[in-house]
Amino acid sequence: METFLFWFCGAAMVLGGLMTVVQRSAVVSAVWLIFAFVAAAGIFALLHAPFVAILQVLVYAGAIMVLFLFVIMMLQGPVLEGERRRMKPALWPAVAIPPLAVLVLVGTRIADHGTAAFTTPLPAGFGSPTHVAELLLGRYLLAFELISIALLVAIIGALAIGKEERKLPWK
Amino acid sequence: MEAMYAFFMDKAGMGQAGAHVTVAAIMATLMFIVMALCALVFTWMERKVAAFLQSRWGPMRTGRWQGWAQAVADMLKILGKEDIIPAEADKALFIFAPLLVLLGSLLAWAAIPWAPGFVAADLDLGLFYIFAVSSMVIIGILMAGWASNNKWALYGAARGAAQMVSYEIPLALAAIPVVMYTGSLNTQDIVIAQQGGIWNWFIFRNPFLFVSFFLYFVASIAETNRGPFDMPETESELVAGYHTEYTGMRFAFFFLSEYANLFLVSMIAVLLFLGGWWAPIPGLDFLPAALTFVIKGVLMVFLNMWVRWTLPRVRVDQLMHLCWKVMIPAALICTVGAGLWMMASGAAG
Repeated sequence: METFLFWFCGAAMVLGGLMTVVQRSAVVSAVWLIFAFVAAAGIFALLHAPFVAILQVLVYAGAIMVLFLFVIMMLQGPVLEGERRRMKPALWPAVAIPPLAVLVLVGTRIADHGTAAFTTPLPAGFGSPTHVAELLLGRYLLAFELISIALLVAIIGALAIGKEERKLPWK
Repeated sequence: MEAMYAFFMDKAGMGQAGAHVTVAAIMATLMFIVMALCALVFTWMERKVAAFLQSRWGPMRTGRWQGWAQAVADMLKILGKEDIIPAEADKALFIFAPLLVLLGSLLAWAAIPWAPGFVAADLDLGLFYIFAVSSMVIIGILMAGWASNNKWALYGAARGAAQMVSYEIPLALAAIPVVMYTGSLNTQDIVIAQQGGIWNWFIFRNPFLFVSFFLYFVASIAETNRGPFDMPETESELVAGYHTEYTGMRFAFFFLSEYANLFLVSMIAVLLFLGGWWAPIPGLDFLPAALTFVIKGVLMVFLNMWVRWTLPRVRVDQLMHLCWKVMIPAALICTVGAGLWMMASGAAG
């Protein structure tokens, strides 16, 4: 069962990734990217990491992709007009082979070693929010805080660069 | 649920996987039927509530009593309409968008605890899961607006997405004090922690939770794109918003999902703050748990409609001001305050 689900999610992820790259329309690519993210969440769930799986859907497939779609929609016309070319079919293998190779490698390793990685009993509470929180706010506290400061700086920087000097009519 | 698994495994002789698939299929069908019923009942209720608040009669003729069959007639009309796909639309996305919107609502319904032990997906991360899958609705709305290739639809979708992404934050933050008190994200555990009468409901546990409830309520109105926050559908400027180009069955999907989401946020309010399936006073225990839960949910829906038909629509800048400068700081203060209250009262483990 686990092996079947792994192949299913893995194949879906490769398909999603591939379609993201070869699609002509940027919006359709973004939708395929969401598909790939949801498949990745399935793999996380198989690896006994339900918290990370749900975060993957909430943050990437949900919030981040909404922003992607937003930006694509705002910029469509002028920027993408020159990009309406389909990729040469000769280049398809170059895009397809690396992810497929990874999928087959991981899959055959699972076939070799059985699904031990999926079925071995784990310490109680593994992958639960409590466990993740203990790691984030204990062992990796410094890295966690540094990353959040870096992100904050990036947000403020983006605001400062992108700010338009313009008076709003109701101000 | 346990009984259902036991029945399919022992009596019907299915394996574990077979029983799980069967129960999931039954629950999904059941949820879908309840969702459709919801849309029927709530459309009629919305018209009557709106009429009452505006001193009108509302539908009176279809069916005999109070025009109850109006919703049925409307549903038949929608199903009988021609299905039009605009020539310039992005066909694949146009077809896929309403399905994604409906999928988001249906997935979120799976983790709702109707009665003790009766929940389609009893997840340890239930509440978190609900917030995650309902973000699919936003993507569906954006897709619908873009695929329609219509400026009104696109504006509506952009407004809807901006609003829903922003109000998701206070919505989730308002739920955090409850999760802190329960120590679990499982929806059943949250309800069980509120056993024992109205004074044990989380809304009345302490002042911070009381404020959290109202923050949640306001954010949930914005999440469902309903008045006074119905910027995405402002009929006087945007025709109908993101579903302008949709007709027939595909429009029905948006419609269904809108009312399903309305009931969903109301049920989450009930399970988080209003004691879930527990009766308010011991004397009302004789009602079945699921019925108590649904009655509370419908009362919350009524409150939602009351607000919608009473308050005027806000402006976009007021909407964003309220979210980022009032509600998010207030929700953060509530989280910290509830934590301090827990420590002071010795409830923290």
